[in-house]
This record gives sequence, structure tokens and C-alpha cells, in this order.
Amino acid sequence: MNYILFIIKAAFEDFNRNKMKTFLTSLGITIGVSSVVLLIALGLGLKAYIQGQFDTFGTNNLYVIPGSLSGGFSGGPPTTQLFDDKDVSSLKRIPGIANTIPVYEKYMKVEGPVTTKTYQVTTSSEEIFSTLTIKIQYGTLYTKSDVAKGAKKIVLGPKAAEKLFGAASSAIGKNATINGSAYKVVGVFEAKGGGSFGGPSIDDAIYMPVTASLSFNPTKKYASIYLKVRDSSFITPVKKEATTVMSKRYKTDEFSVIEQTELIKTINSIFGVLNTVLIAIAAISLIVGGVGIMNIMYMSVVERIREIGIRRAIGATKKDILYQFMAEAVLLSGLGGLTGLLFSWIVILFLQTLFPAYIDAPTIAIAIGVSSAVGIIFGVAPAKKAADLSPMEAIRYE
Amino acid sequence: MINLSHVSKEYKLSGESFFALRDVSFEIKEKELLAILGPSGSGKSTVMHIIGLLDNPTEGTVKINGKDVSKYTDNELSLARNETIGFVFQQFNLINKLTILENILLPTIYTRHKLTFDPKTRAMELIAKFGLLGKERSFPNKISGGQQQRVAIARALIMNPKLVLADEPTGNLDTKTGNAILDLLEKLNKEDGVTVVIITHEPDVANRCKRKLYIRDGKLYTKSDYTV
Repeated sequence: MNYILFIIKAAFEDFNRNKMKTFLTSLGITIGVSSVVLLIALGLGLKAYIQGQFDTFGTNNLYVIPGSLSGGFSGGPPTTQLFDDKDVSSLKRIPGIANTIPVYEKYMKVEGPVTTKTYQVTTSSEEIFSTLTIKIQYGTLYTKSDVAKGAKKIVLGPKAAEKLFGAASSAIGKNATINGSAYKVVGVFEAKGGGSFGGPSIDDAIYMPVTASLSFNPTKKYASIYLKVRDSSFITPVKKEATTVMSKRYKTDEFSVIEQTELIKTINSIFGVLNTVLIAIAAISLIVGGVGIMNIMYMSVVERIREIGIRRAIGATKKDILYQFMAEAVLLSGLGGLTGLLFSWIVILFLQTLFPAYIDAPTIAIAIGVSSAVGIIFGVAPAKKAADLSPMEAIRYE
Repeated sequence: MINLSHVSKEYKLSGESFFALRDVSFEIKEKELLAILGPSGSGKSTVMHIIGLLDNPTEGTVKINGKDVSKYTDNELSLARNETIGFVFQQFNLINKLTILENILLPTIYTRHKLTFDPKTRAMELIAKFGLLGKERSFPNKISGGQQQRVAIARALIMNPKLVLADEPTGNLDTKTGNAILDLLEKLNKEDGVTVVIITHEPDVANRCKRKLYIRDGKLYTKSDYTV
């Protein structure tokens, strides 16, 4: 124990004497560890963000979307407008479904009194608000009768209202021009958050009755159909029945009926693979850092051959010398790892103002473990070289 | 105490072999003050390395207290160097980044057995005994050569070894300081009963010892048959 403390103390005294050398040597590990930790934190944050986004969409939902999920989810908004009212009415008949909501989405130029900007306009029935748990803040939501009449009314997300009209509260009753037609703002809903880093946020959404969109969706096709089931026990039977209903008109690879959890899982697995690849690339810098440590340790052995000889002459065993140099490499690398962890923690604190990035205990354990392992792996060869020196030759080394 | 029997040491350099020692046999008795005298390149350092268990002979046996050390493992050799032998070198061989006190304490760090003394107390006793009080927190390069050699002797003595091996202990010192160091080694032998072996090329230094062995071209001579 005494000896272990001694070599740790000696190593730190050495680092203190050669501050610049220590800093530069461990910098590689610092960069490597912070890259890996930041990417893990971003991955974790992304997962939390996706979960959060889906949570804003409410629960007990099924989605009928075009294309097949097996063999990979294509990602991004679906471009094929496949479904129509016939599908909606067939699905409505399935027992256990509370709401059947057709959705058509299109990116459109929206002209407000303050600014003109491109927004994703979602056309749907009034049931979409309860399905996505959207609550009104100013004005009202459009109603069933608005949908029946094809009233040119829109409900805005708070961010969109603020951008187009200057303030969310002042948008009510005013008009916005979409595709050459004027649409009256009847309501602005409560902020739901999300959508950092330029990603779409529900707060930027614009909703209008599906019947008011004939000017830009003349054939009344839908990109997807949301199915809100009565409770979670209906998810499996409704999913099965919806698949049967849809199979009557479409080939099995032309549509998918998916659960929210399935969608989250698929998205997470895609981002998971992407994140793993990025972490693997970042881990290369750890290897480069390790090589840097190895190089310095080899130099250190050569510089200290005589010291090794003195230590051997007064009773140090090969193992003592091996442990001494290994400890130095591991501490050097561990120090780099801790600095990297500290640095990434500061960056994450900053990132958290924009994005729910975070580090958990396993990430900290991985960072410390990996940096120490790098020290062991790249420190063992120089340490062995030091330990294998002949005491007689080492002590005579000039 | 230490017995060398028909010890030879052969080195191979660039394919050519030469003998640093040839058939050397002698005994170092307990509590004796012995000088091994020889010119540069005579093989006296090789003798010291072999006695000090820093090197193995090519032929012959080395026994310490009757035990053949050729069969010792690295750990056993290290233990013997740590507990039985204290080294004093011409170049002092102190570790410059450690303080005087840390240098003296260094052998106690590598011990495998529980110490029967408090290392710090013993180190401070040696520091006081060798007139180094007040220097314990200094670094070796901040003190004089004579003081450095006294630190080296203190380090050699901290584990209470039976044998002190001094390789040209006065080689880097002026005559007055060198004599003081020799006085110290002589006193250790006389008063504390430590076996002291001094390896030197200076007859004056060797003359301070009761017994002298002469070495030239790797061969050992007694006084009668040694001619310069």
C-alpha cells in the first residue's frame, strides 16, 4: 500500500515538474474522451428528445403510413400521398377506435403581416387536437362544423404565430395567405416545446381543416392516418384489423400500421447505429492519444535508464519498475480522461440550453474506464522495456 | 560471508568475445574491510557487479552465507540487494528529483518484509550522524559532492545491510573530502561491524584497508605475485 501511494505520489510530482509535457501528452486522451462523451451525451439527448416529441403526440396512437417498415424505415416525411377518404371510412368502422384522423402535410409559403416563411401545414380533422393533446391558449380550435364546411380557418403553434404576427396573442382574427388564399387565424395553442437545432417543433405547426386544403390537395389524398384507440388493450386487435382492412386495397409493402413504441424503436435504432458509428470514429482519437502516451513513455524510459538501474540496485524488482511505469501511463491517460470528462461536462451544460443532452453514470464509468485502459494498453510495452533492463547495464548508462 | 569460486565473466562484443574475469576465487569474511585494487579496465567493476548481484558470472559460483545465488529468481536477487547489500558509487547515483530524505528512504519502499525500525526515524538518525541535518528537504544537485556521497552512504545503510560495496567512492571528490568519506567507511566497519568492500584504482585508498586484493586483466592476485 505504502509502495502504491509512493509511486502515485512520485508520478504526480513528475507531472508537476513537467506540466507542459504532461498537458500535451494527455491532450490526445482529453480530446478523445470528450469527443466520445459528447457524442454519447448527444445520443442520449436525442433519444430523450424523440421520446419527448412522441409524448407530446399523446398515447395509445397507431399510425397508418405508406411504405413498409420491414427492411428499414426510410425516414423523413412521407412524400407519397396514398390514402383517401375511402380508407378513412373503412378504418372508422373498426371497433375500439376512438378517432380516425386523416393527415396531409405540405411545406407551404405562409404570408403573415410581419413576415413570410415556409411552414409545414398540416391538414386534418378537428380530432387531431385531442389526439395530439393540443390545448388552446388564445382563440378557439377549429370545429367539426368548420371541417364539414371547409372553412378557411387555421390554428397556429405559438412560435409560428409570433413569427408571422409579431405576438401570439395578436394573431387571432387576422389573416395569413397560403397558396394565394386568405386563411383566418382562429386560435393559437399552448407551447409544447422541443424542436431545437433547427428540427421541426410542434410549436411551429399550422393546422387547417382537411376540407380547406383543396386548392393544394385537390384529390384529397392523405399521407398518413392516425388512429386513436380507446385504451392500450385495443392497440393489438386494432392494429391487426387495420392491417386486414388496408390489405384489401393495398399490397402489404405499400403501407404499414405501426405503434408509437415501434416508431420510437425504429427511429432510435437508426440514430443508435449512426451514433455508434460516430463514437467509433471519435474513438480513433483515443488510439492516437494512446500512441502519444506510448511515445512519451518510451522517451521517459530512455531518459531514466540510470534511475531504473539505481532503483534495481537498491532492491526494486522487475515488477516494481513495471508497475511504476504502468502507473505513470495510466495516471497520465486517466488525467487526460478526467479533463476530457470535465470539459465535455461544461460543453453539455451549455448544450442543455438548446437540447436535452446529458451524461449518465455509465458514460462517466466508460470515460474513466476507457482512458485507464488506454494507459494500460499503451503503457505496458514501455514499462516492460524498463523492467527488462539489466540492472548492471542500466546503472552504468551514461 | 561471500564466496566466489572459479568465477569467469565473458562478454561478446560484435561477435568477438573477451573475458572481463578469468577464474577468480576469493572470500569476503564478515566484518572485514577489504580493498579490491586495479587499474581502469582490469575487471574490478565486473567483480563488484557480481558480488553486488547486479550481474551473473558466465562460469563459477557465487555464494552468500553458503547459498548459491545463481539459482535465485529476480525477486530473490532484488530482496538480497535490498536487505544484505548497500551500494556506494563513484557517481553517487542519487535520484535528483527526490529530496535527500526521500533518497535515503528509497530502499525501505522496496522492502518485502515488515521493517523492524521506523524508516523515517532511522533516516533522520543517519542524516544527523553524517552531518546532513537541515539538508533533508534539499535536492541532491543543491548540495556538495561530499555531502552527496554521505547521502549515498546513508541510503546504503538504511536497511542495516551486512555488506557495503563502495565502487571508487572517492573518485569524484577532492582529497580532503575523499578522506572524510574513507574515514566514515572505516568507522562503519570498526564501530558498527559492517563488512566494507572498497573497489578502487588508487593505492592510497586501498592502503586504508586491512586486506587488499589486486586485479588486472580479469585475473586476481595477492600482493606477493602482483606486479604493476
